[in-house]
Amino acid sequence: MLNQSFNGGIVIPNPHPVETVEIILAPLPDKVVLPLQQRIGDEASPCVKVGDKVLTGQVIAKTQDHFCVPIHATISGKVVSIDDQIIPHKSGLKSKCITIESDGKDQWEEHKGCGSDFLHCDQATMIEYIQSSGIVGLGGAGFPAHAKLEGIQDCHTLIVNGTECEPGIMCDDALMQHHPREVIRGVEILLHICGAQRAIIAVEDDKQEALNSLLMYCHNDRISIEQIPTKYTSGAEKLLVKALLDIEIPSGGFAIDTGVVCQNVATTKAIFDAVVDNKPLVSRIVTVTGSGVESPNNYEVRLGSSFEHIVSMSNPNTNQHAVRMGGMMMGVDVETTNTPICKITNCIFVNNLEERASTQECIRCGRCNQACPVDLLPQQLYWYAKSENTDKAMDYNLADCIECRCCDYVCPSHIPLAEYFSFAKALHRKTTEDQYRTDIARERFEFREYRLERNKRERAEMMAAKKEELKKKMANDKAQKDKIAAAMARVNKTKKASDDA
Amino acid sequence: MHSNALNTNQIMRQVIYALALGIGAAYTFFGWGVILQIVLAVVTAIVVEFSFLSLRKLPVKPAISDGSAVLSAVLLAISIPSIAPWWIIVVGTAFAIIFGKQLYGGLGNNPFNPAMLGYAFLLVSYPLQMTTWASEFLNLSQAINAIFNLTSVDALSGATQLDEVKTQLALGKVINELEVHSISQAWINAGFLLGGLYLIARKVITWHIPAAFIAGIVFVSSMLYLIDHQIYLPMQNHLMLGATMLGAFFIATDPVSASTTPKGRLIYGFLIGVLVVVIRVFGSYPDGVAFAVLLMNITVPLIDYYTQPKVFGK
Repeated sequence: MLNQSFNGGIVIPNPHPVETVEIILAPLPDKVVLPLQQRIGDEASPCVKVGDKVLTGQVIAKTQDHFCVPIHATISGKVVSIDDQIIPHKSGLKSKCITIESDGKDQWEEHKGCGSDFLHCDQATMIEYIQSSGIVGLGGAGFPAHAKLEGIQDCHTLIVNGTECEPGIMCDDALMQHHPREVIRGVEILLHICGAQRAIIAVEDDKQEALNSLLMYCHNDRISIEQIPTKYTSGAEKLLVKALLDIEIPSGGFAIDTGVVCQNVATTKAIFDAVVDNKPLVSRIVTVTGSGVESPNNYEVRLGSSFEHIVSMSNPNTNQHAVRMGGMMMGVDVETTNTPICKITNCIFVNNLEERASTQECIRCGRCNQACPVDLLPQQLYWYAKSENTDKAMDYNLADCIECRCCDYVCPSHIPLAEYFSFAKALHRKTTEDQYRTDIARERFEFREYRLERNKRERAEMMAAKKEELKKKMANDKAQKDKIAAAMARVNKTKKASDDA
Repeated sequence: MHSNALNTNQIMRQVIYALALGIGAAYTFFGWGVILQIVLAVVTAIVVEFSFLSLRKLPVKPAISDGSAVLSAVLLAISIPSIAPWWIIVVGTAFAIIFGKQLYGGLGNNPFNPAMLGYAFLLVSYPLQMTTWASEFLNLSQAINAIFNLTSVDALSGATQLDEVKTQLALGKVINELEVHSISQAWINAGFLLGGLYLIARKVITWHIPAAFIAGIVFVSSMLYLIDHQIYLPMQNHLMLGATMLGAFFIATDPVSASTTPKGRLIYGFLIGVLVVVIRVFGSYPDGVAFAVLLMNITVPLIDYYTQPKVFGK
């Protein structure tokens, strides 16, 4: 057990525990809906048309951006539409999706990877396979996996995150219990790619079975498996690095800045599949839980299936439900179970609709600063976020808030603090952008004024110079004229004199 | 998704419950006046809060049921003499609620502790009534007579121990000649101390402010006692006389007007303790808790700003 944990954090018991953690293979869906907009990066452009036949694992959309991953068909069948559909996002907005109707055959496209003797493959090929197989962080953040692995210089430790600290979610627990071999082999692949000396698989101390099954398959002395205390937010990358290695990743920095690479266990398993077989990511394990279902469970399900497809297998009751994707702390509420499962859908919470506890005034009791895992003062941030004084909120390190909602959880006045902070961050971004724009505009204007002024001045100077010159010339001319006149006078005089004579 | 811990209303209620021991002790020594003052204060607080919220066109029920007005009223009622005339507590409570809280925008927005603002207002405006304490147990009819000015209370009243010490010292006596002990005050302080420990155990308050408050009192009073034990009271008298324990556990810990950072709370509590002794010894008022708390309330934004904990990764 480790003792160099971070401050704060909260212990929340699993609200819907199960006896044994299993994985049920969900039947093939009749159709899948695959959003073209991934969590990060540009919207992909489709490379199939409506009516095309597609095979499972076939690339159906991609982007130019190397940072992004391509999108694969997750079943074989026919493309029936490319249009706007509801996607699991807190905005509730629709986004462009490709809909494929299943032919029931699940015919795969040919694919070939490094094979089980993967150590002969070079790193670049492996990373290429990881990218082309569409692997993103499956823990919930959806960060493209290859982007974390490219160009690594000095990496001393690889951390594989099996903490799954949000109460209720058990898909990673199930994966570690039922696919320990793939996880361990995946860790070896990652060690090979990032060149780290050692790897640590972090498992929470309430997942004893997962630990046991990993230990059974782990025969590599560069890989250690460590238990960490079950505490919410221990799964957050920065806090996990602190808990395991006692390294504090600097504010605004990344794990790799301190020589650490982090990947989630489910991502590691997907990387194993991608490297060994070059098999695209077409399915994932999803937990269905909540007060609205009788039998919470984990399902291995094709991406793009609707939430309803697996929720219906968990015996939902007949009450009105509030549906949430992701954990009960950091997840997002979605409108209906008619939403497609995507790569970051680790969990679906189906809760009986309950009235939200009414909010009261902040009494500055400070319970939130005790719970904050990054040692902020949420009560002060709240004060400034509420009054939209974002500069002052930034002074109180608003930017370091990880929006884990520990403060919400402990607030005796039930204030949705993290929502205020998310809003204040967005507001700050906007005002700084606006400020930047007005600064630019002002500078432009000022330069224009300066330029006009300068032109005017230069013109005036030029005119003055010309005038001077003209004057001189005129003066010269006058002198000349005088001379001529004098000469003429002289001539006349002599003429007159000679005439007289 | 919220924890099952206490919510704001329950926190306020817990504080009121925790006052019971101290109030019980005060009742034992001063009688029914204590209870009557509390009743008058609570009724006034609710009426004032109700009318003010109606004037501001705000929902009344959530604000009344949060218990904060009642708590302020009870704190003020047990701070003033149990035989003070009825209008004292009525005016004081109304002042506390209106000027101490509602004019700043209600619960959570007040920079000063409302009860202490009310107390300071009363002490400055009506010093005679505010320093005349019951000298024995009064039964219900005696208490009613005293509070509603039906009969003279001179026979039943006197100054507090701290007041008495001040007067005697001014007359040139030294501490050794005085009998500085007051069973009633010691018991009342003990009651509030126990109630306060209950609040810490229930996690309603943290230990920081009370501990620092007491440390501040111990520090200054022992220093003074070392300098001259003829004219300065020893530490134990400062701890067990006046409003020390009430102040340490119930007044300085009012979260709204106190510092909120862990380090800030230590500084805040300690300096209140220091000020309490300084005001008692060198000031012209017998007790200093109210003024010490109000003075330190002013410094809270500054303390909070400069005692921010180190943020992760900075």
